Amino acid sequence: MNKPYQIILTLLMSAAIFSCSPKNISTKYYFDNEQVLDQMEESFKNTYAEHPFSVAFTSRDFATVSVTIKTDTLNYIYDFNVGETRIADTLAAYGVPIAPVIELIKNMQSIKCAWISNYDYYTREKKNSLIFMSVKPVALKAPFKYARYYILTYFPQPQYFDSEGRLLERRKLRRLRKINGEIFKRINDKVCYSVSVNFR
Amino acid sequence: MLLIKRLLVFIWSFLFLGNFCWASDPVSTSSKAAAISFVSNYGKLEASKIWPGIKPAWFMKNLNENITNPASVYPGEGSYFCSYSAITYLMLQDDPLGYAKFALELYNTGKAVYRNILYEPSESIKKEAGRFKYKGVMDIHPLDQMWYLTLADHYKGYLNLFNRKYDAGDENSFWASSNYGKFNRMAKKLLYYNLASSKGSDLFRPHIKNLYSCLAEKLNAGKLVLFINNRIVHKKDHVNIRLAVPTHFIVVEKLYKINDVITMVYWENGAKTQMQLSPAFLKRIVYGITAFTNTSNE
Repeated sequence: MNKPYQIILTLLMSAAIFSCSPKNISTKYYFDNEQVLDQMEESFKNTYAEHPFSVAFTSRDFATVSVTIKTDTLNYIYDFNVGETRIADTLAAYGVPIAPVIELIKNMQSIKCAWISNYDYYTREKKNSLIFMSVKPVALKAPFKYARYYILTYFPQPQYFDSEGRLLERRKLRRLRKINGEIFKRINDKVCYSVSVNFR
Repeated sequence: MLLIKRLLVFIWSFLFLGNFCWASDPVSTSSKAAAISFVSNYGKLEASKIWPGIKPAWFMKNLNENITNPASVYPGEGSYFCSYSAITYLMLQDDPLGYAKFALELYNTGKAVYRNILYEPSESIKKEAGRFKYKGVMDIHPLDQMWYLTLADHYKGYLNLFNRKYDAGDENSFWASSNYGKFNRMAKKLLYYNLASSKGSDLFRPHIKNLYSCLAEKLNAGKLVLFINNRIVHKKDHVNIRLAVPTHFIVVEKLYKINDVITMVYWENGAKTQMQLSPAFLKRIVYGITAFTNTSNE
C-alpha cells in the first residue's frame, strides 16, 4: 500500500473512532431529548415521593426491566419483561402508583435509559436528593471500547460550577464535586452530565 | 496405628463439623441493651485533635444508630467498603458492647485493641475520616468512615499490593478492596463466631452439587456470608464482555425454595433486600461461601 492510501485509511479510521467519542455527546444529547428527559425526571420525582422505587433495564435489547420497590423493612427486586401485566399487579401490591411507573418504563425504553434512581447527598449535614439517570445512547457505542453511559443528575437547586463548567462542592469551597468518582459538567444550573463506564 | 489415629481424627472432625451444621442460633457475646447503656452513660464526647474531621455529636449519633439498628450500617456510595460493612453488621449483632468500647477508645486515643489486636490507623486516615462527601448517608456517619478506613488500613490482601498507603479518595480504589481470603482472615480476627467453613475463591465458583441445600443447611446452623458476582446480580448486561469475578459480600438472612424458585433475603449496603432467583442463577453468582456457627466466648 502506498503512502497516500495509508494516510487516507488512517484518517478514516480515526474519524470513525473519534466521531463516536464521548466528547461529542456533551450537552447535545440532553437538548435533543430535553422534553422526554425532563418529563421522566418530573414523573420519577413525584412518584418517588409517594413510594420509593428505582427502575433499571437489565438486558441489552431493553426488553427486561428490574424494579426495586423500597419499604421500611425490605427492598424488593422484581424482574419483568416490558409489557407484562405482572408489573401493574406487583406495583399495586406495594401501593406504588401504576400509571406513572408504566409510562416511565416506556419513556426509558424509548431513549435507552438504563437506570433511574434517587440519590441522597448531604450539604452541611442537611439531606438533599438528586435524581440520577443513566442513558446508553447509540453514539457512545464506539468500536473497541467498553460500553459508556451518559449520566444525568438533576439537582433540586442551582449548583456552583468553575470556569470550565465543572461541578463544585460549594461556592466558596472550590473543590470539585465527584459523584461515584465522576466529575460532572454543567448543562444548566440544576442539570449536569458525565460519561461513565458504570451505569449505577 | 497411625492409620487408625488418622481415621479417628477424621471421624471426630466429621462429627464435630456435623454438629455445628445443625446448631441453634449463635449466642451473643454481649447484648444490645448493655451497649446502649454503656453509650448513654458515657457522657459528653469532646472534639478530638486526633480526628479533626469528626464532629463528636455526629459520631455519637452514628454509634447509637449502629448499635440500635445494625442493618443500617452502610458502606457508602461507590466505595470498596462492602466487606468491612458485612463484618460490622455481624459484629454489631454479636458484640455491640465490644464494638462501642473499641470505637470510643479509637476516637479518644487514635488506637484501640479488639480481641488482642492493636489497630492504629495512619495519620492520613486520621486526617480524612469524617470528611467524605457524596457517599450517601455515610457523609454524616463519621464513625463508619473512621472504622472502615481503620480496617482497610490494617488488613491487606493481594489486591492491595500496589496501593498500600492511604491517600484521600482511596476509599474508591483497590486500596480498600478485599479478596475472599482477606475477608475470611478479617472475620476470624474480628468476630467471636466460629468460622465453620469457607469454600470458594476469587476466580472460580465452588463445586457443590446442590448449592441451595448446602446454603440452607449452613444458614440453619448460624450466619452465612456469600461472596458474589454483583455485576450479574444487578444484571449489568448492557455490555458484550463482562468480568466473571465476584466483587461483593452479602449476609444471607433467609432462604427458601418453592417450585424451583429460590427466594433469598439478604443484607447489603444498609438494608435488607429480597430477590427471587433460579438455582442455576444462584450457582452463577456465588463464588464464596463463609459459614459461622456458635460463638466461642473468650
